[in-house]
Amino acid sequence: MTTYRLQVNGKQHAVDTDPDTPLLYVLRNDLELSGAKFGCGLGQCGSCTVLVDDQPAMSCLVPVSSVGRRAVRTVEGLGTGDKPGVLQQAFIDEQAAQCGYCIAGMIVQATALLERTPRPTDAQIRAHMSPNLCRCGTHMRILRAVRRAADVLAKQPAGAKR
Amino acid sequence: MDLPRRKRHVGRWLLAAAVVLACVAFAIMWRPAITPQTATPSFDQARIDRGANLARLGMCASCHTPDLAKPFAGGKPMETPFGTVHSTNITPDNDTGIGRWSLEAFTRSMRKGVSRDGHLLYPAFPYNHYTRMTQADIDDLYAYFMTRPAIHAPARDNDMIFPFGFRPLVAFWNVLYLDDSAWQPDPKQSAEWNRGAYLADAVAHCAACHTPRTMLGGPDLSRPLDGGEAEDWYAPALNARSPSPLPWTRQQLHTYLRTGIAEDHAAAGGPMQDVVMHLSQADERDVAALSAWTHSHLAQAPARATPAQQAGSLPTPKADDPDLQRMQTGYALYANACARCHDAGRGVGSGAALPLQKAVALYDPDPRSLIHLVDEGIAPPDGEPGRWMPGYRTILTGEQTGALAAYLRKYGAGQPAWPDLDDAVRKARAP
Repeated sequence: MTTYRLQVNGKQHAVDTDPDTPLLYVLRNDLELSGAKFGCGLGQCGSCTVLVDDQPAMSCLVPVSSVGRRAVRTVEGLGTGDKPGVLQQAFIDEQAAQCGYCIAGMIVQATALLERTPRPTDAQIRAHMSPNLCRCGTHMRILRAVRRAADVLAKQPAGAKR
Repeated sequence: MDLPRRKRHVGRWLLAAAVVLACVAFAIMWRPAITPQTATPSFDQARIDRGANLARLGMCASCHTPDLAKPFAGGKPMETPFGTVHSTNITPDNDTGIGRWSLEAFTRSMRKGVSRDGHLLYPAFPYNHYTRMTQADIDDLYAYFMTRPAIHAPARDNDMIFPFGFRPLVAFWNVLYLDDSAWQPDPKQSAEWNRGAYLADAVAHCAACHTPRTMLGGPDLSRPLDGGEAEDWYAPALNARSPSPLPWTRQQLHTYLRTGIAEDHAAAGGPMQDVVMHLSQADERDVAALSAWTHSHLAQAPARATPAQQAGSLPTPKADDPDLQRMQTGYALYANACARCHDAGRGVGSGAALPLQKAVALYDPDPRSLIHLVDEGIAPPDGEPGRWMPGYRTILTGEQTGALAAYLRKYGAGQPAWPDLDDAVRKARAP
């Protein structure tokens, strides 16, 4: 057991765990942030996607020992039930969830896109979202939700919070 | 000016020499336009079908179809040491494609690298290979392209480094590298081998990536199939210098070229995925011939003792390793990320992965392909089914990728460290 200091959603945490523990397990079990899901455990489905220093990462494949000082963000950091973030609201408006298991990963993956490419083309959205799978088949709604969020953000004044 | 008689003589000779040189240069560089055709001839279906197969074997779409919605309309940017070249529209559109190109104009472009209007094409278009196609095959390809849907798509401007924007300079490249003599079979070899040799050279242009290039961007003909590069990936040597730790069988090679997966060897990554996608749709007998020819070269590689013969997971770093800390970082990443799929007891295929001591990229003479694989993973070409490996560019720092590659090289392949590893990681991660 080793103590790791992690910055998650802007807060500092100290976690005692083994160095080979995946970041996903630390988030879900130690920090009780259960937004990111365990899907395949092999980096094939994207349901565990979180942001590490603003980059999308499959947290089931990230040993906690390799995170270091990099800042971690999860879907919980993007909004709350009362005040959903723009992407979260867009997913609600498009009714993009069927069973919902993949949705946290989808929203986080899309966050990474819109932060770097605020006005993506449809082709850019498809390419960027391609690592994330939805077994219910709501991909078309998910793509519409990302498009809707991009359009909403484009109408907001510059510097408005996402 | 009143020059002495002798000097005036020299001046006249110099002037004459300059005129002669200018004439020679003009003759080398200038090519006439070919009259545009006003009506497209008709073609019988058998020719079109044969042309379709040749287009797959030649992987024309790989460069000419960057957008699946617009087949053969061109526009793909290709980085070269001389600037960025864009592929052109080869649909039969009259204004922006090859609709007004007669068979004569099409043949000249394939054999000489000259556009219908007389301007010289850049050798990113591998006419130095197509020049050796039979006329019957060029006729069939023409029939195929002239019967594709015409798409209006003007050529994109190239972005060449000075002075390579001046196309006539390509003429001098052609003097050095364009050997347009007819392809010759080797009577000592089988018909299948010769078919494969012809397809590999004149159509599939394997050597365009698998043979190293000279400073001038031409093939280094003293080192055929010695290993080259494609889009910054190392394209492995296909001869005695093959880096593969295990000998290839002909069947493995055939399966690899058809499916992108070879038991005990590799899953196709990077630019080779596109090659495999096209070959999977070509006539299987032709792919068998390509395999026969390629295997005859790969089989020259001597048998070597490598860790690939051993089963099991990769070992922990030795306690007395001079680079222990870095190796431990690499091992931790291997054990906690890679080993989940690549550990012992798995094969290469869907939902499983190659044990890393067998992975060719670990044995390459430089680390570029391994870094690309770790950073970008393997994703099938747009719109195609295929293998998937997650990319770690957003998961690992450059330092971690370097440590992982250094560990895999030493404890996976048992090979001496790559001297240029850190530079290669930096370069691969440069924005």
